[in-house]
Amino acid sequence: METGSQFSYYEILEISPHCPQHEITTAYERMRQTYSGGNPAIYTMFTEAEARELLKLVEEAYSVLGNKTLRALYDEKVGQVGKKFDLSFEALQTESKVVFNESPKKVTSAKVEYKVDADFEKELKEIASWDGAQLKKVREYKKFSLEKISEITKVSSYYINAIENVDPTNLPAPVFVRGYVSQISKVLGLDEKKVCDSYMKIFKEKLGQK
Amino acid sequence: MAAKVWVVGAGKGGVGKTFFTSSLGITLSKLGFRVLLIDFDLAGANIHTSLGMPLNENNLSLYLEGKTNLNKLAQGTKIPRLSYIQGVWNEWMAHDLLKKDCKQLIEDARRLNYDFVLIDLGPGASSCHIDMFRNADEKILVTTPEPTSIEKTYRFIEALMCHELRESSTKEAYDFLLKNMKRYRSAEKTEHFSFRKYLSSHPGFSFDYFESFKQTPVRLAINCSRSRQDQDLGFSIKSVCTKYYDFPVDFIGSIDFDNAVWQSIRNREPVLIEKPFTPLAGQYLTIAKMLSTPTEVLTNLYRTAV
Repeated sequence: METGSQFSYYEILEISPHCPQHEITTAYERMRQTYSGGNPAIYTMFTEAEARELLKLVEEAYSVLGNKTLRALYDEKVGQVGKKFDLSFEALQTESKVVFNESPKKVTSAKVEYKVDADFEKELKEIASWDGAQLKKVREYKKFSLEKISEITKVSSYYINAIENVDPTNLPAPVFVRGYVSQISKVLGLDEKKVCDSYMKIFKEKLGQK
Repeated sequence: MAAKVWVVGAGKGGVGKTFFTSSLGITLSKLGFRVLLIDFDLAGANIHTSLGMPLNENNLSLYLEGKTNLNKLAQGTKIPRLSYIQGVWNEWMAHDLLKKDCKQLIEDARRLNYDFVLIDLGPGASSCHIDMFRNADEKILVTTPEPTSIEKTYRFIEALMCHELRESSTKEAYDFLLKNMKRYRSAEKTEHFSFRKYLSSHPGFSFDYFESFKQTPVRLAINCSRSRQDQDLGFSIKSVCTKYYDFPVDFIGSIDFDNAVWQSIRNREPVLIEKPFTPLAGQYLTIAKMLSTPTEVLTNLYRTAV
């Protein structure tokens, strides 16, 4: 069916365009009962072939109106005068998937190109006590932007910034901070336990100072 | 205030018009309205039987002969606020009814001092019945779930439409209608599945009548329903009328089959008086309340509910 065709889906199901969803189902069930074989009400009025045609229309109408999302799309399209749309079930369903894209946002590849610096790598392995500045250094060395690392770890960039500055006033309880640091170091390819233990020591000292 | 005239007809005989009319009358009177029943079934008058009243000479034939007026013919019944006018039973030659008479009867009935005047017609779509239908305030068609009765109901509706279209359309257009009605029936209906759409391609038709029926559609009642399928038949007929003719029909409800009905007719005691707390009485009550409530009130009720 297209816009501007003779009967709207509502007319086929004989309901008002403003009726609630459950009335559509009731109307559809009644229609189906009426036009599927052997109903005395169509006797002498519609032949079996005609009833089958009508039933097809009814099924088509319900396939769209019976679905809240497709119905909303249909209403929107019908309301736009002067333009032509394909209003068949398939077309609307395809469109509904475009408009209401519900699949989770794909994380862009975690791999980021960076120049390997042998000296720096060696230096990293020797660090025993990690603080925020060092984390930041590694992050910048591996070419991760704040936004990027926040996207991967799901920790807000505000917290990551605060972690790098070792700023407890802008961070939640230590148990959460430990989790964040663990995530960050995992992404940066560091030894999680080592980094966390040493970072948390520094963090708690700073917390105690306050 | 003018009395509201309700006309009860059917395409086929024996579907329970008389029983429906008298029961609806009893229910309305129980609701506190003053009700007059007129037995206009010239072939088989028997409202008096279903009310359990004796026959007498004071019946509708006197009115049809012009000897008296309706008010003098109205007789009280055992039921408060309910009166009735006996049908013609003591004449063996059928009355030649003119269109004028039918219209006059409705107009006279409107002037009576009642809230509702219910007219029980005979079976079939004779031009007199059609004319009364067109002039009434409320038009009720009774059918049973049998295919025979349903078929005749459709024929009744067709007759009603043709009648009106003859009045409101040009002669040429009406000839076109008659010529094409049969062809339309046998034609494969694909693109246009409404009779009205089919006609509207031809000039000379006026559809004001159809439009006016949107406000006061023909009411359809299913009598002797024995199952859920029978009840749903009302909606099916409504849908077929919309799709086939584009003619609005309103389904007002179905009345259950009940053995108490024929038993009570044998006892000549109205079943709604004998057994007032049955599902049957409830169904009549729903219909009576729905039809007797003015549309504005119903609309307001609906609005508050929504």
